[in-house]
Amino acid sequence: MKEEGTNNEITRRKFLTNALRASAGIAVGGLAVYVAGNSNTKDLVWQLDPAKCIQCGQCVTNCVVTPSAVKCVHVFDMCGYCDLCGGYFRADAKELTTAAENQLCPTGAIERKFVEDPFFEYTITEDLCIGCGKCVAGCGAFGNGSLQLQVRHDLCKNCNQCNIALTCPADAFERVPVDSVSIFKGFSDIEFVNKS
Amino acid sequence: MDKPKSNNKILIRIAQAAGAFAFIISMMLIVNYIQYKNIDPVNTELINNLITRLNETPEDSVLRDQIRELDLLARKAYFTNQWQVRTGGYLLLICITVLIITLRIIRSRAKLEITFDEHENIITKKKNTRTWLSVSGIIIVGLALLSALFSINDLNSIIDKQLVTLKDETIEIAKSEPINEPVRVQDELVELPASEPESNTETELSVNKPEVEKSAVVTKTESKPEAGNQERSKPTEETKEPVKEEKVPVEKKELPVAKPSYPSEKKITENHPAFRGPGSNGISYRKNIPVSWDGTTGENILWKLKVPLHGYNSPVIWGNKVFLSGATAEKREVYCIDRNTGNVLWTYDVTGIPGSPEKSPKTTDDTGLAAPSVTTDGESVYAIFGNGDLVAIDMDGNEVWSKNLGPTGNHYGHSSSLIYYQDILILQYDTKSSPMLMGLSVKTGETLWTTNRDVKISWASPICVNTGSEYEVIIAADPIVASYNPLTGEENWQIDCIFGEVGPSVAYSDGVVFAVNEYAKLAAIKIGETPEILWEDDEYLSDVPSPVATEDILIMATSYGVVVSYDSKTGEKYWEQEFDNGFYSSPMLVEDKIYLMDMDGVTHIMKAGKQYEALGESPIGENAMTTPAFSDGRIYIRGNEHLFCIGK
Amino acid sequence: MTKTTFSIFINGFKPGKLVIFIFIIAISFISFDAEAQRFPKPEFESGYEQIETQIPVPRSNFMEYFDVFVLFIALGIITWIVLRKRSRTGVFWVSVFSVLYFGFFREGCVCSVGSLQNVTLALFNPGYKIPITVLLFFILPLLFTLLFGRTFCAGVCPLGAIQDFFVIKPLKLKNWVQKLLGLIPYFYLGLAVLYAATNTDFIICRYDPFVSIFRLNGEFSMFLLGGLFLSASIVIARPYCRFFCPYGVLLNWMSRISLFHMTITPTKCVQCKLCEGSCPFDAIDIPDTEKPKESKQTTKRRFIALVVLIPLITLTGAWSGYLIHEKLAIVNSKVELAIELIYLDKHPEITDDPSYTESFEVEAFRTSGQSKEQLFEEAKLVISKFRIGSILFGGFIGLVFGITLAGLSVYRYKNDYEPNKGECLSCARCMDYCPVDDESKLIEKVK
Repeated sequence: MKEEGTNNEITRRKFLTNALRASAGIAVGGLAVYVAGNSNTKDLVWQLDPAKCIQCGQCVTNCVVTPSAVKCVHVFDMCGYCDLCGGYFRADAKELTTAAENQLCPTGAIERKFVEDPFFEYTITEDLCIGCGKCVAGCGAFGNGSLQLQVRHDLCKNCNQCNIALTCPADAFERVPVDSVSIFKGFSDIEFVNKS
Repeated sequence: MDKPKSNNKILIRIAQAAGAFAFIISMMLIVNYIQYKNIDPVNTELINNLITRLNETPEDSVLRDQIRELDLLARKAYFTNQWQVRTGGYLLLICITVLIITLRIIRSRAKLEITFDEHENIITKKKNTRTWLSVSGIIIVGLALLSALFSINDLNSIIDKQLVTLKDETIEIAKSEPINEPVRVQDELVELPASEPESNTETELSVNKPEVEKSAVVTKTESKPEAGNQERSKPTEETKEPVKEEKVPVEKKELPVAKPSYPSEKKITENHPAFRGPGSNGISYRKNIPVSWDGTTGENILWKLKVPLHGYNSPVIWGNKVFLSGATAEKREVYCIDRNTGNVLWTYDVTGIPGSPEKSPKTTDDTGLAAPSVTTDGESVYAIFGNGDLVAIDMDGNEVWSKNLGPTGNHYGHSSSLIYYQDILILQYDTKSSPMLMGLSVKTGETLWTTNRDVKISWASPICVNTGSEYEVIIAADPIVASYNPLTGEENWQIDCIFGEVGPSVAYSDGVVFAVNEYAKLAAIKIGETPEILWEDDEYLSDVPSPVATEDILIMATSYGVVVSYDSKTGEKYWEQEFDNGFYSSPMLVEDKIYLMDMDGVTHIMKAGKQYEALGESPIGENAMTTPAFSDGRIYIRGNEHLFCIGK
Repeated sequence: MTKTTFSIFINGFKPGKLVIFIFIIAISFISFDAEAQRFPKPEFESGYEQIETQIPVPRSNFMEYFDVFVLFIALGIITWIVLRKRSRTGVFWVSVFSVLYFGFFREGCVCSVGSLQNVTLALFNPGYKIPITVLLFFILPLLFTLLFGRTFCAGVCPLGAIQDFFVIKPLKLKNWVQKLLGLIPYFYLGLAVLYAATNTDFIICRYDPFVSIFRLNGEFSMFLLGGLFLSASIVIARPYCRFFCPYGVLLNWMSRISLFHMTITPTKCVQCKLCEGSCPFDAIDIPDTEKPKESKQTTKRRFIALVVLIPLITLTGAWSGYLIHEKLAIVNSKVELAIELIYLDKHPEITDDPSYTESFEVEAFRTSGQSKEQLFEEAKLVISKFRIGSILFGGFIGLVFGITLAGLSVYRYKNDYEPNKGECLSCARCMDYCPVDDESKLIEKVK
């Protein structure tokens, strides 16, 4: 339809392109400025809210890293140091020993250590923990709820869209500012030690 | 020319080797993945099955060793698998990198390939493309059409319909639904029987209305002494305003009241209208109570009735009728039984309460869904269930009113029993989300007042006692013991002295309230404007049974089988006695005797004195966790299965 | 009856013997929120010291800004290499760097392609605060492309760079196949924006085929997808970039009107045809040797048809979008849950069945205390958003179809070998084939 040729046409096309380019530049810039108005200079990280968590066990498989970046964290300040720990023992455990048939943790990630009669200390070996939340459910049902699931940020890739957040039935995952990386249920005023 | 060629050969070999390796590794990874799918450490079916079997045969050491071995194996396999995947991944990456590098080098050594294709005519080329584009566009639109045709496309209206039905249900109960809006206080006042307009100053009922923000208009209009039986018209928008604080000074409203339609004090003490007797204080005033019976031989058992649905609530008595309730996850029932014959007079099936959850909340087996005892004022019987269903049924088994109070969120199940004062039904509803005390009209079920409480979940029941000039409702929950005016819900006093999961209700005698909880302490609180702790002790602590007190002594039973007696004024320990069985049932004081039933259903009868003196031990022949009810010459005991009537 | 506690369980292990816990605890100094503290923390007599709960620190904020800086520098360098140095080798090494840094080191996140969704979400949900670094990741490549063409695609984008390594024996695709597949990114872009704007899902991230390779960790199916794309890249060069990448759509638009786009020849094309087969992406426009002319009547008729057709196609698209909006909305978790609850309400026999176990979603909803009404209202709101969104999405697709058809009806004949500014990924391969020397360089050499 159009034949390439006259000078006139070339200048006209050039002008149009320039106008288009300028408007595109303004559009991109405007968008940037508009969105920047609603932006956050603080970085956000993913964290799960234990108050919403129902320990469905999907964190094990839905995290992009294996084993999951969600781990059980022990809030020692809330622990009752029970002999019969609902997070350590199966509900039907016959003896309070560390034998496999009594343990709740599928990977043996909880270590039970005698402190003094009748108290025991429980520590999580995070390398073994797969974030299934069985102990969290047990402790929540029978104990103080000192075992809670948390995203560990030394493992978390901080994906643009957290894969667990997408599938979490309880909608428990949220972005939190980097300076308040942990959410613990039923707890405040305690300072935690940063692990580097 | 030869050199690059031989070099090329080497490169081709390398590429072939790398490719083969990459292929093998990826195959191995796929096989590994399939295997891994079967090793799910979170749900090792096999081990779980074995453990169930082990629980049946706990002595089987072979089985136990097998479980341990399997468990170790599964864990090893799981972590080895992860290691394999990681290593395989790195190897694969290296192989592919090598492959790609060699391939690229080979390509770059080949001569520049310059191809001259025959070009299509531009017009036919574009025409061709246009056709294909149009065809695909039409296909896409067609697919969208098909998908719309072959599936119902009215999600919105489906949801709308559901919303309408939901709203219909909620409109009915909206007025009496304080759970969703915990701060909202219903300030509709007692509806008075319009037929009886005469005013009776002696029984003048004063009703306090918690102050509502911006409610000046209301308060001004309400001080006519004779305005009692007028329908109160209230600006409705103000009822929804949030309440400031419970302790804010409240506007008093005098309401001359018609003839009292609630039972007299005398009538109440003649009966056993609530959990732990009149006022729920653990004391019965009935006489000639038997001290020996035997459920296995039938000695002194007048009748025995199998209760259709299980429940841990205790029987209550009014006139010739015994009431109790039972529930499963699916059904809730209230029973009325002839006190003398043991015939079931009626069974009320609690269903169709608007707002009632479809699925009952999870409870532990030792609490269940019918833990709170019913109460009765001779007009109606009131029952509450673990799913929040509250119902009033008249003496003939017809529903008077019903409502659902919403979920309690109590992890064992709701267990606070009902009491009433005059014509106000009092509920301790210390739930997880919005702990509160509520007063409801016994006639209509309307919420007369609610008092929000800053406490944790409580499993204790309220008591309502005369502390001198007036009645007080006293309740315990972590962290306070507090007293309230039963007519208004106003707090009289509170004291910090208890914590944990409070199960035992308080006991009252002669100006002193006794509160106890396991891991906390036993505290004797001298009540008054500023209550103080008279004495406290923590040697033995009860976590379920409530104590009972007289002016002189306090008796407390524990779930691990110890019964202790203290001087109620000084806290000096009189005696302690250990029994083989623990107690969940609360001690009852009848005629200077303590009746206390253990978990095996054996009632230990002892003297309520400064020395321990056993008066009898009588079994019913089945386990029991409820507290007995008394009438003249009779005891009514609910075992786990039967209701027993004991008498001569 | 009152409650029963777990403590009986503890005591039960030593029947007959009294186990008495005497706690003298002042718990007032520990503040706990709403939760009941069933077993107070013991006061140890043996001098046991409590372990502190450890909290690992996330990557520092500074590093995020460093990433933006690296992106900017990489963009600058590659633009200089393409436009000034005209060196394919340079582009290759930048690609290697990008794959190593943005890919394997930074594990493919955040990337410019995915940031598109964050920007959309921020645009439609004021509650969402987009990190400034993510915004910069979105803006910088667009601006560079507007000025210099798709140099970002050439070797900075790790997704493109990793595919580029696999381009070994690219085949030529038929024009119509290329055009047809080239429409997929528009669909992908539309859906990604729709799902991000409704806060439903980030589909670009979810189906990013290469991120699991960069992490050496991820779902098996994603590895498979990544492997497929890379293997396909051997014969169909950079399939993801050309036929899927939604961000590529925006870059394509920018590049069409770019100020200084790369050229095949440094000076004047001598029509040697050497570069004809060099582009693995079929992005070189070939000069028309013969210039066939259609009759004036045909062109006129087509032009009128076009004017009528574009709005009509757009409307058809919008209508189709309306038809499928509920299908698209079902993916949203709120809508999904509402549907499940309504279904269960209507079929009480399902929940009555003793073997029924409620789904995690229903359980979570039940325990959350949210009312059904609230959920249904929210679901309705989501659906209405999807209705508008789907109509716009359909209209957009219709418009793209219309304009593409129009583009195929208007001919502009070319005289020289030129890169197609929209499609060209500025990979600089063609330059190696061009025999024309840069005059300025020649002069330098002579000097």
